[in-house]
Amino acid sequence: MEFILNTIRKMDNDQAREYALGDETTLKEKLAIVILNPDDIKQLNIKQGSIVKIYNETGFVHVKCIQDEKVPLNMAMMPVSIWSNQITRVINNELEYKNIEVKIEAVDKPILDLKSILQKIREESR
Amino acid sequence: MKRVPCSGCSLLCDDIIVRSDGIFIDEVVGACIKGKEHFDQVTAKNRQTSPMHREGNNMKKIEWDQCYNEVTELIKKSKKPLLYGFSTVSCEAQLEGIQLAEKINGHIDSNSSICQGKVIERSKLEGLTLTTIGEVINKADLIILWGANPAESIPRLLNKTVFSRGKFRMTGREIKTLIIVDPVQTASFGVIGVRDLSLMIDPGKDIDLIRVLKDECCTADSIPSEGVAGIDTDDLKRLLLHLTGAEYGVIFMGQGLLRPKNDYETLKEFLELIEMINSKQKKGRIALITMGGHYNMTGFDHVALANYGQTGNLNFRNNQLEVTEKNTIQKISSEDFDLSIIVGTDPISHLPANLSSKLMKHPIIVIDNKKSATGEIADLFLPSAITGIECEGLAYRLDHVPIELQKIINPPNNIPSDEEILRELLKRLKDGGS
Repeated sequence: MEFILNTIRKMDNDQAREYALGDETTLKEKLAIVILNPDDIKQLNIKQGSIVKIYNETGFVHVKCIQDEKVPLNMAMMPVSIWSNQITRVINNELEYKNIEVKIEAVDKPILDLKSILQKIREESR
Repeated sequence: MKRVPCSGCSLLCDDIIVRSDGIFIDEVVGACIKGKEHFDQVTAKNRQTSPMHREGNNMKKIEWDQCYNEVTELIKKSKKPLLYGFSTVSCEAQLEGIQLAEKINGHIDSNSSICQGKVIERSKLEGLTLTTIGEVINKADLIILWGANPAESIPRLLNKTVFSRGKFRMTGREIKTLIIVDPVQTASFGVIGVRDLSLMIDPGKDIDLIRVLKDECCTADSIPSEGVAGIDTDDLKRLLLHLTGAEYGVIFMGQGLLRPKNDYETLKEFLELIEMINSKQKKGRIALITMGGHYNMTGFDHVALANYGQTGNLNFRNNQLEVTEKNTIQKISSEDFDLSIIVGTDPISHLPANLSSKLMKHPIIVIDNKKSATGEIADLFLPSAITGIECEGLAYRLDHVPIELQKIINPPNNIPSDEEILRELLKRLKDGGS
């Protein structure tokens, strides 16, 4: 299913706080998420807490799905983090953090933790 | 008890009360959740208080002298160092950083250039009507949040502006109109009252709304009957009425309007709209405040502009500032660097993965007071004191007002401030030549 992705800042999902005061588990719990409208979640045939794959031509990431009826239909929101930045991109030498076209589908795959995601980026740099 | 400014975000609230014996902070009164968490970082379990260097896959503690030696060795080997961050350090540290870049012929830039600094840069061409939080408190009768959600990003902004009573606004909230333009019903919508206006704009359609408002400023009744960008005609007319009829309006602008340049420039047209409204306004004006999150993002623009004549993107060659067309994103994309010195920020978390992977190809030195993804993969990590708690310094509030941050307690292990670390590096490089 196609969505418009917006990266956002949320008080409860703040990466600076999680790095400073949290641990590996809370970091992943709070930041490796996507927030979708409940009707879109039904359309995807998944439930709150399911793992989804978000992807576009830039890359992909597996995150946990959270529902929020305030999110408009066909919009996905992710807190700014290393997980959301697997699919953000550079356009005309500027960074695009908003209104990014992505596709979302249900998967049965684990969510990478910080160390694994850093390892993945490192491997891509070689 | 002592009244201090809080360096938890760019609002730099200067009405925080702390009780401290100079060794520990016992109580913090008046801070928001974000501010409270900022003070909690002093004793955070993840905080590093010793310098470290990489040995294989692990970071090992080392002595400060060894760390400074290793950093200066890396810098001496580098031909194209990149210095980046500087938005959560004092202006004094920012100046030391720029002087270090000048000494080592580096490229230095702050987070501002990919965030709200774009507005300052653009305003060189379009002009910009600024205001201060004090003026908003005393005079504003119209407050617009456009693509901004201060309830989550700058929590006390709404208390200070919407719910305050000012010299000419003694009736407080009753006399103020709040308008929110956003594609998502954010937490800030929670303070919308019956006479306010919530405009749920279609995602990415801000440019259509801006253009209709610009047209309407020139020609009456040019609002399309079907509305625009998901906003109906009645709401558009109310918006225009408020924009052109307010005695003193302020627009708080968020990241939503900072789109990359496509076939149009949203930011350019947005600034043009404000100037058009102000030329049409007979009894008042509209001003703009940008909502950068990091507490001294604005500071870097001022320090760089005052000392080197440009707000960011400073490239030095032969110890002289050089004109460059390349911004930091281009520098990283084209791998036009061979060492990065990251100060008070976390680009590995903030930047798209393809840029992070390019940063990872070269040695990374991190100076920061907290743990981060960039710190995890750094070759050298230099912990610093928290400015505004463990050391003093100047910072610029989001409305470009300078605020003196104070020292409350000594840092753990007497770790130096960002300013002292950068000054020591500069001293060693000057003494040893480079």
